[in-house]
Amino acid sequence: MKGRTAEEAAPEGRPGRRPRFGLRARVTAAFALGTLALALILSLLTYTLSSTYLVRQRESSAQRQAFVNARLVESGLRSDVPLPDLLDSLETPATSESVLSYQGRWFASSPLNVSHEELPAGLRDRVFSGRAVHQRFRLGGQLYEAVGIPLVHVGAHYFEVFSLAELDGTLNTLSRALVAGAAVTVLLGVGFGRWVSGQALRPLTAVGRAARSISQGRLDTRLDPAIDSDLSALTISFNGMADALEQRIERDARFASDVSHELRSPLTTLATVVELLHDRRTEFAEPMRDAIELLKAEVERFQQMVLDLLEISRLDAGVAQPELEAVRPAELVREAVGASGRGTPDRRVAGGDGMRVGVTVDDTVTDLVIRADKRRLERVVANLVQNAETHGGGLAGISLVRCGDRVRVLVDDAGPGIALAYRDRVFERFARGPDAESRRDGHGVGLGLALVAEHVRLQGGRVWVEDRPGGGARFVVELPVETP
Amino acid sequence: MRTRVLLIEDDERIRAAMRMALEQEGHHVHDVASGEEALRDFSRQPSDVVLIDLVLPGMDGFEVCRKLRAASDVPIIMVTARTDSHDVVAGLEAGADDYLTKPFVPKELSARIRALLRRIRGDARPPPRFAFGDVEVLPQEGIVRRDGAEVHLTKTEFDLLCELASNQGQVLSREHLLDRIWGYGYFGDGRLVDVHIRRLRTKVEPEPAHPRHVLTVRGMGYKLVP
Repeated sequence: MKGRTAEEAAPEGRPGRRPRFGLRARVTAAFALGTLALALILSLLTYTLSSTYLVRQRESSAQRQAFVNARLVESGLRSDVPLPDLLDSLETPATSESVLSYQGRWFASSPLNVSHEELPAGLRDRVFSGRAVHQRFRLGGQLYEAVGIPLVHVGAHYFEVFSLAELDGTLNTLSRALVAGAAVTVLLGVGFGRWVSGQALRPLTAVGRAARSISQGRLDTRLDPAIDSDLSALTISFNGMADALEQRIERDARFASDVSHELRSPLTTLATVVELLHDRRTEFAEPMRDAIELLKAEVERFQQMVLDLLEISRLDAGVAQPELEAVRPAELVREAVGASGRGTPDRRVAGGDGMRVGVTVDDTVTDLVIRADKRRLERVVANLVQNAETHGGGLAGISLVRCGDRVRVLVDDAGPGIALAYRDRVFERFARGPDAESRRDGHGVGLGLALVAEHVRLQGGRVWVEDRPGGGARFVVELPVETP
Repeated sequence: MRTRVLLIEDDERIRAAMRMALEQEGHHVHDVASGEEALRDFSRQPSDVVLIDLVLPGMDGFEVCRKLRAASDVPIIMVTARTDSHDVVAGLEAGADDYLTKPFVPKELSARIRALLRRIRGDARPPPRFAFGDVEVLPQEGIVRRDGAEVHLTKTEFDLLCELASNQGQVLSREHLLDRIWGYGYFGDGRLVDVHIRRLRTKVEPEPAHPRHVLTVRGMGYKLVP
């Protein structure tokens, strides 16, 4: 119990100021202490009242019996009944003993083996001084009640000793029962405390779960306002916070998307006009031709960037689900590599000169059919090829190999390879190479490889970069092979 | 004869640029800024191709598309903002033959126009007359009759039907149809085929929801069976 609460509190709690025990443990302990105190008070009260009552009962019956017997002894002495017989004739139960002092001698019926010497001295003295007295005393660990009655008319003193062993036993049983009852009550208190604190903490657990869900990206997670009317303030403010957070994240995400959308129209005009100029570049003088070439290249790059931004904001919005269909990877990769210039509705695959590089297909992959999103996979291959052309010193080869239940597309380039420390970062957005070279030419990796990573991940695959045997970088796209 | 292109685009600058690019290609361009204007213009003088921006003030591109389609079989290319949204499918269902996504380059635009205006390519000529169910097709005349009554197919639907008919019984992949009808490569948008097949079915199938002639072969493509 304590362990769990402590664990849950651990990440948020401030070390040092955190209480040693969790809230639940403390509530439970409080319940335990409360029920313990209550059980103690009730038990003590019960014990005192019932023992007092029982003892009084016993005392009064003992006194009644003693007086009856005393009267019998008195009348017996008057009619000169021989003494031992007189005492034996008394109707005393086995739990009492009659002791008689008569004419300076002591007589006793002896079921309890209490001799007259063992009678409390104070009791004896007071009876001898002519008063009827009763007293409780303990002898050899046993509890007794003694009643002494002076028989003034016959000059005798009658004592009767009652064993209270039975009462003692009853009280012992009672106290044991009360202790056991108190223990059970405390246990129930602990259980109840745990349950109540659990109930009380349940909304907090729900809050914790909701917060975790939000941090894992499910931004539409909300608390049920019906959880507990007493906690509506918490629920309302939590949901308010979640709303604000969601709106803010959406606004941030939408910004990139909005910007790209806004750029579409001017970019369309720009691309159209630049193409017109480019088509008629021969009508211009030499320096102008260069300017037009430069303009065209930059507009294309700009256009590519906007398309990539749109694409990545779609991915961020999570609206783009992969459309999986049966695809032959070998065919797709060949088509993607060869698609330069032919044009797809969205964009053309960049590069043109490097396309003579062949695609090597392993025998096991030739007729392989996988389930993949054709359009996304085309982007993946096109972006990797473009990356090799722009940053990797040219495409050195593409091959497809089977690797167990996965198929791998290897895109090799002829560059210097990628430093170990940089291999993960290369898939980040707008990542730039560690070398000044990649900065100077103004060609950051941009979004191309980040898109590759996203597209591959969406299709259940992995992508990484390693060294190509013989130098250069090798980008590996690994996709699952399912039997379609 | 020069192709007459009706260009519907509310952004003045894009309109001017597209007009220049289309004229450079040798087309005769008539440009308007709204759907209402476009419908008036079209009823006065039909065009050979219509380019519609889906986002228009007043009557939107889908509506213009539907109205034009109701009146004519003219090839329509829509210009959309997003490829992933249902805009594309909705536009195709409104009657568009093909689409372009902004930002596009003029080469794509002229490639799309060329593909739509071209007659059936290649040497795989369909038979001079073929029939399936209660449908009779005369490819040379461009006539389709169902139960003797003439059915209006757009040029794209007609081409699609003829392509399926010239390979009767054979499964044609979406890539193949994209290449033959729209002139796209391997990576063309398969939704073009799917939506046009759906539209074709509503015109030639007795029960479009349970097609008996224009069949889907799951994961492979489409085929026509008599």
